[in-house]
Amino acid sequence: MGLVKINGQSGMLPRGYRLGKLGVSLVGSYLGYQIQNIFLGETGRPQRKARFHKRASRQLREELGALKGPVMKLGQLLSMQSGTLPEEALLELANLQMQAPGMHATLARVQFKSALGKYPEEMFHEFDPEPFAAASLGQVHRAVTFNGEKVAVKIQYPAIRSAIESDLKLLRSAAFPGRVTGHVPSALLDEIARGLLEETDYLHEADNLDYFRTGLAGLDFVTVPRVHRELTNDRVLTMSFVEGESLSDWLKRKPSQALRNLTGARLCQAYETQLQHLRVIHADQHPGNFLFRPDGRFGLVDFGCVKRVNFDICEFRRIQEDLGWRESEATERRFLSILCGKSVPYARARKILPLMEEMLEVYRPQGAGDFVLDFRKIRQNSKVMEIQRRMTKVILQNKLFPPDLTYVSRADMGFWHLVGEIGATVNVSEISRRVSASPPPAR
Amino acid sequence: MKRKKERKGGRAAAPKRRGKRVENKENTRRAILRAALDLFAEKGFYRTTTKAISKKAGIAEGTLFNYFETKEDLALYFFEESLTEMIDWYQSDRAMKRAALPEKLFGIIEHLLDSLAPYEEFIGAVYLRGLVASSKLSPFSLQSQERHLRYLRFIRDVLAPAEEAGEIPRLGDLGAHAFGVFQMAIISYWLQDGSRGKEQTLALLDRCLKLSAHFLKKGGWDW
Repeated sequence: MGLVKINGQSGMLPRGYRLGKLGVSLVGSYLGYQIQNIFLGETGRPQRKARFHKRASRQLREELGALKGPVMKLGQLLSMQSGTLPEEALLELANLQMQAPGMHATLARVQFKSALGKYPEEMFHEFDPEPFAAASLGQVHRAVTFNGEKVAVKIQYPAIRSAIESDLKLLRSAAFPGRVTGHVPSALLDEIARGLLEETDYLHEADNLDYFRTGLAGLDFVTVPRVHRELTNDRVLTMSFVEGESLSDWLKRKPSQALRNLTGARLCQAYETQLQHLRVIHADQHPGNFLFRPDGRFGLVDFGCVKRVNFDICEFRRIQEDLGWRESEATERRFLSILCGKSVPYARARKILPLMEEMLEVYRPQGAGDFVLDFRKIRQNSKVMEIQRRMTKVILQNKLFPPDLTYVSRADMGFWHLVGEIGATVNVSEISRRVSASPPPAR
Repeated sequence: MKRKKERKGGRAAAPKRRGKRVENKENTRRAILRAALDLFAEKGFYRTTTKAISKKAGIAEGTLFNYFETKEDLALYFFEESLTEMIDWYQSDRAMKRAALPEKLFGIIEHLLDSLAPYEEFIGAVYLRGLVASSKLSPFSLQSQERHLRYLRFIRDVLAPAEEAGEIPRLGDLGAHAFGVFQMAIISYWLQDGSRGKEQTLALLDRCLKLSAHFLKKGGWDW
C-alpha cells in the first residue's frame, strides 16, 4: 500500500494503464492485420503473419520490459500456461529476467540500513558503494567482512514486495485483460503469486543456498556461495564471494575443445545431480548465473528461483531412451502422465509422441544407445528448430503444459542454451547413469 | 548605532570574555534544546511542559523564558540548527560531491529524515501546527523567513552546477521552491509511512527524483 501508487513508473494506476494499453495495442495490430488481409487478398499472407507476430512480440517485450517488475514475470508464466500468445512472443518473454530499478550508492546504503539497522560501513571492513552486478530485484556489492573474508552483498530495492502485492491485486482485478486471466485457474495464480513473493524473501534464498551447497558438496568443481547469516535478512543477503568470469569473458580466452567438453560435462553432471538427487533445480539456468574459471570449474549463483521436481526424472529418461511408449499402452500412459500431468486426457497428450520420436532421431541418428550431443550443432540445426516449432504448436493447441514440467522445461531450455554457447559435446546418457549410480549426498 | 559602536569600543579590552559569554549563551540554548528533544521523544510535544524542560536542562523556569518564549520557538531553533547541520554535512560529504543530481537531492532529504527520525512524534505535531497560516511554525511566517531563504539559497546552489552543465534547464528560484514543496510532501508521507525501515518512503523518493530528472533532462522539458 502506498507510495508506489502515486508515483509515475510503477504505481497501480500507470501500471494498470500500461497493461490495458498492451491489450489494446495487440488487438489494434491484429485488426490492422485483418484489414490488410481484406485489401491484399491471400498472397503474401504467411510473411505478413510472421512479420506481425514478430512486431507484436517485440512490442510486448518493450511494454512489459518497461515495467521492469514482476508483472512481466507473471506475463511470462501466464503466457506459457495459457497459450494465449504466439510462440515468437513466448521466446521473447523467455529472455526476460525479474528486474528492479538500479540504486545509486546513497540509496543502496540507506536501504541496507533500513533492512539491517546499521550502515554498511558499520557492518563491514570494506564496502564498495558501486554495485558489480544486477540481481533479481536488487543489486550486488562487493565487501570484506571484519574477519577479512571477501563477500557479495545483495541488496533488494525498497518496497519491492508491496509493489508485487499491488500487481497481484491488479492481476486478480478486472483491469487485467480477461482473455489472459480467463484461461488461468485461480489455483495456478495462487501458485505463481506464492513463487513471486517467495523470491522477494532473501531468507528463503539463503535456505536454498544452504540446501544446494550441501547437496552439491560432492562435486568439487562447483562452488555455491556460503551464506553469512549474521549479515543477512529478508532484504539483504550476504554470501561468500565466488571467483570466476562471465561466460562471454571465458569464451574470449578461446578455450580448447577439451576444456569446453569438460566444462559442458560438468555442467551436465551438476544439473543431473539436482534433478536426480536434490529433486530441486536452479530454475534460472542462464549464463548470468554461472561464473567460469580457466580450469573448468565454475560457480553457481542467484538461487532466488528454484523449483521442486515432483516426478521421477530417471524413469522418464529410461522410457525416453528406449522409446518405451512403443512397447505397451501402460508404459505410454505412464510416460505421458509424467510429461503432461494426470489432468490432460491421454488422446490429446499422445499427439506429442510422433514429434518426440522425430526429435530423438535427430539427437541420436544411430537409433539406439547413448545420447552424445553436440550442443552447438543442435542449436544451429534447422531440423531441430523446425520440429521445436511444431512441438510448441501442438503443446499450445492441446494445452499440454503441466505446471511442474513448465519450470523444468524452462530450466532445460536455459541449460541447453548455456552448453550450446560453451560449444561442448557431451555424452548425456553416460553422465545421467553415473549420477544415478553415485550415492545421494548426505543431508 | 553610534552607541553600539561606542560600547564595542569600550569593551575592546575584553574580547575573550565577551566571546565566552556568547558561547555560554549558545551552549545553554543547545542544552535546553537537547533536554527538550529528549522529552519530546519520550512524552511527545504537547505533553512536555516548560517546567519539565527547565528541570531537565538544569536551569530555572524563568531563565528558560529568556531563551525561548514558547515551545514553538524551541521548534524554530531546532529547525535552524538542523538546517545548519545539513548544509555543513552537504558541503563536507565526499560522496555528495561526486554524486549525480538525483542522488544529491535524495541524499539531502534522506539526511534530513535520518536526523528527524528520533523525533518523529515531535515533527508530526510541529508539522500540523505549521499548516496553520498564523503559526510561527508555518514556513511562510515572519519568524521562518530567514531560515526559509537560507534553505532556498542552499538548494539553488545544489542545482546550479547541473544547470550550468546543461543537464537541466535554468530553473532559477523555481527549482528551489519546487524542491521545498516536494520535501514537505515527502516528510508528510514519511510521517505516515508504517513500512519497516520506512522503505516505502525510500522507494517513493527515489522514483520521484528519477522521474523528475528524466523529465528535466535535455529535451524532456518541452514535454
